[in-house]
Amino acid sequence: MNDVLVGRALAKRFGQTVALGGVDIAVRAGEAVAIMGPSGSGKSTLLHCLAGIMKPDGGEVHLLGRRIDAMGERKRSALRRTRFGFVFQFGQLLPELPAEENVALPLMLGGVPRAQAVRRAREWFAPLGLHSMEARRPGELSGGQAQRVAIARALVSRPAVVFADEPTGALDQQTGQETMRLLVEATKHNDASLIVVTHDPNVAAWCDRTVEVRDGHLLAGAPHPAGPHPAGPHAAGPHAAGPHAAGPHAAGPHPAGPHPARPHPGGEAVHGPKDGTRA
Amino acid sequence: MNLDLTWRLLKGGGRRGLLGTWLTLGAVAVATALLLFAVAANFAFGARAERTAWRNPVPAASGAVAVEASRYDFVRDRAITVIDLAALPGESPAPPPGLPRFPAPGEVWLSPALAALARELPAGELADRYPGPEGVLGDAALVHPGELVAVVGHAPDAPAMTAQRSEDWIIAKPPVKVASLAGEPSEDAEAYQVLSAIASVLMVVPLLVFGGAAARLTVARRDQRLAALRLVGATPGQVVAMTVAEAVIVALAGALVGTAVFALCVPLLAGIQMQGGPWFAGDLFPPPLVLAGVLVAVPLLVGLSAVAGLRRVVVSPLGVAKRETPPAMRFVRVLALIAVLAAFPMLSQNTSVTVVVVALALAFLCVNLAGPWVVGVIGRITAASARGPARLLAGRRLVDDPRSAWRTVSGVALTGFVAGFLGLLSPAAFDEGAAGPPALRVTAPAGQAEEVAGRARERLGAADVQATVKTAANGVVVATLHGTPGVAALDRARTALAGLVPGRTPTTKTDDQRFGIEVLADVRVGTIVVLSVSFLVAIASSGITATSSVLDRRQTYALLRLAGTPLETLDRARRAETLIPLAVMGGGAILVGAFCAIPFMIGGVNAVGMATLGGCVVLGFAGVIGAGALSRPLLRAVTADPAPRPD
Ligand SMILES: Nc1ncnc2c1ncn2[C@@H]1O[C@H](COP(=O)(O)OP(=O)(O)OP(=O)(O)O)[C@@H](O)[C@H]1O
Ligand SMILES: [Mg+2]
Repeated sequence: MNDVLVGRALAKRFGQTVALGGVDIAVRAGEAVAIMGPSGSGKSTLLHCLAGIMKPDGGEVHLLGRRIDAMGERKRSALRRTRFGFVFQFGQLLPELPAEENVALPLMLGGVPRAQAVRRAREWFAPLGLHSMEARRPGELSGGQAQRVAIARALVSRPAVVFADEPTGALDQQTGQETMRLLVEATKHNDASLIVVTHDPNVAAWCDRTVEVRDGHLLAGAPHPAGPHPAGPHAAGPHAAGPHAAGPHAAGPHPAGPHPARPHPGGEAVHGPKDGTRA
Repeated sequence: MNLDLTWRLLKGGGRRGLLGTWLTLGAVAVATALLLFAVAANFAFGARAERTAWRNPVPAASGAVAVEASRYDFVRDRAITVIDLAALPGESPAPPPGLPRFPAPGEVWLSPALAALARELPAGELADRYPGPEGVLGDAALVHPGELVAVVGHAPDAPAMTAQRSEDWIIAKPPVKVASLAGEPSEDAEAYQVLSAIASVLMVVPLLVFGGAAARLTVARRDQRLAALRLVGATPGQVVAMTVAEAVIVALAGALVGTAVFALCVPLLAGIQMQGGPWFAGDLFPPPLVLAGVLVAVPLLVGLSAVAGLRRVVVSPLGVAKRETPPAMRFVRVLALIAVLAAFPMLSQNTSVTVVVVALALAFLCVNLAGPWVVGVIGRITAASARGPARLLAGRRLVDDPRSAWRTVSGVALTGFVAGFLGLLSPAAFDEGAAGPPALRVTAPAGQAEEVAGRARERLGAADVQATVKTAANGVVVATLHGTPGVAALDRARTALAGLVPGRTPTTKTDDQRFGIEVLADVRVGTIVVLSVSFLVAIASSGITATSSVLDRRQTYALLRLAGTPLETLDRARRAETLIPLAVMGGGAILVGAFCAIPFMIGGVNAVGMATLGGCVVLGFAGVIGAGALSRPLLRAVTADPAPRPD
């Protein structure tokens, strides 16, 4: 159906360590999935296998019906560049490039002329609350601002799926929340799916559902309660009509009530520059 | 305390940290070995000059004990130095170095190589010229082990010790009364020393730059961690002490390894032909004190360089952690270069050597100072004009850290300076040998030309050499050999005519040019040696810096690769980041070097110099590309890490 990314019976071991012991996972278009679990349980490994960074020892990965885990490194690399976006904990921005060129880089790598790439990159700054930060270098940005630049970079080439490995891990609670809001809203607004690895239940709460990884296996996934984020002022954002399954909140470690009151600097929903074209 | 922590930092740096340490050690070893070579060369030429001082007599104002004269003889295509000695009546003078006693009249002493050659060739070709050798000369009398020297004893009133000799001081030295055989280093020996001093300057400056790059490699691996230490409250003193201790320990080990490498290479280096032959291995070992000095100076310099590299961390704990934009280079750097260059046209061939060497060293250092500024400008232009990602990355990187980019190419660029300097100076080739059959010429004493010619005919006839003997203007007697005689016939003729005119050697036109040819060969060998050393240094340092730049940026590279950036793009960016400044700076340095050479040019530009230059350009580019390619596996390994961490 409308599963964008499907992993079947994914297995991966490092020597004696079984990092993944046969994981099945499917991510639908526009869906935001949080992967949680204790340290060393295999979250990053799962993410890397799904994103074509690592070849699983067993199982298959399909992107829009195409099997990608068997592709050669060159093809997977091209795939990562064009169909996937990545947000890591930190350190992904090139320190010597101004923010706008960091964002434009994936487009330029894809052959978009420089002037056009930079113009398209700039369109992302205002929606992400990065007014007049275009020419700053990553060293001159705060951690949260740098992560927002990274989000812009992940989304600029209109990927089908955005992968984020502890994107808020290096940020304080409040900045992390704000960054997560922007990440979720921006991906939804661009019809991209999102897979986030996180330790923080508050971060996971922004997603449509959470899957738990324990010792390389998935626990039963649990969709989040109806409506995205009851208390957030962003609730009326463009993704409000996203495909959220309703149902009880079983295994998810989400707080039962609304999210704790969070001030939203800027507060407005994220309207990434949407031109409908996918790179 | 600090040392303990240092040791743990050194060991605890992980595999990649250790890689940096090993690279530093290797780089310091190479630098030390080459530095010892550059220093030793001066002492080696000095030793040669000292050992041959006795052949360059100092006229005695009073208290003369002996008469000394010299001339050159030739066998095959080699020169023989013939020293004529006569003791004056009175107490016997002290013998010259390498001889057990002062030669009595009629005695002949040959150098080992000449004695061997005399035994090897038929007597009529060489041995008969120096009949009944008394013994062989010791090494203390010789420039090099293969040198051909004959010492001949005479009575003070013998014709050889009284007759007029050639006016040309290069060909012969007339009899001189001396008070001792100590003598003084000859002018040409001193000229060689000056040239070797210049060569040393040309080699040492890139070496210093290289040493600095090596030191920074340690620091680069540490500065993040040290910045973290600063953040948790280590005092600047502690941070500096730890870094310096680490750098110095590694550098000392490297210097010791380098000394061993140098010692192992001495037999090879001794084979380099200079002044007509190879070297005594002993000449190439620098004196112990100098060796000790190098072993102290190298770690010291590396330590200082490490401190300089750490300045930013110490000044601000956040300096490294936050990766701020470094302050822009000052234009003063370029002004300094222009100022020094402006002084060059005032120099000439007559300027004192010290001034020239100092000016050259200054020009060299200023090229090094101006380098980063120019690299910054190049980077700005590259970034502004870039269309694709590789060039953009390269340009931004050049702007971000012009110093490190300059370090990658500085060695080769400075070699360009050397090549430009030497390329313009290398003398044109001699037109080898006169056409036609060989002719031996000797100047007869005034009014005796006919008589000398007659005796020459007799001697040649007796030796069975077909030749026509004629007299020419200025009392020159010319014996033209018939047909196309081989070298053996020519040497028979030489031997037959030996002693025909006391104190004079019959020579061919080629013989007369022998010294020019030898000096030319030496200049070429010297150029090649200097350029080889510069290139080794340059390529090694570009390899080192390429490696350390991969290590420094491994996390970013890895994350870019994860996000799908092709390895080739990263590699292209890396290459552009080196080759663009290399092309501009290398070309610029060649021009500056050539400009500095203009005041000393003899004659025009010539093919040999240009060929050397061309070769340098090709080698430089190939070497830097090769050295950069060597770090590609490292780049691949670093970017293959699926979970890159700061460390
Ligand atoms: N390159 C590797 N070599 C060997 N073992 C590895 C490697 N990468 C991961 N592992 C092991 O695989 C298991 C899963 O690792 P993974 O990085 O996926 O955990 P994680 O859930 O992301 O943990 P964390 O929350 O701490 O990031 C761990 O036991 C880890 O030690
Ligand atoms: Mg992880």
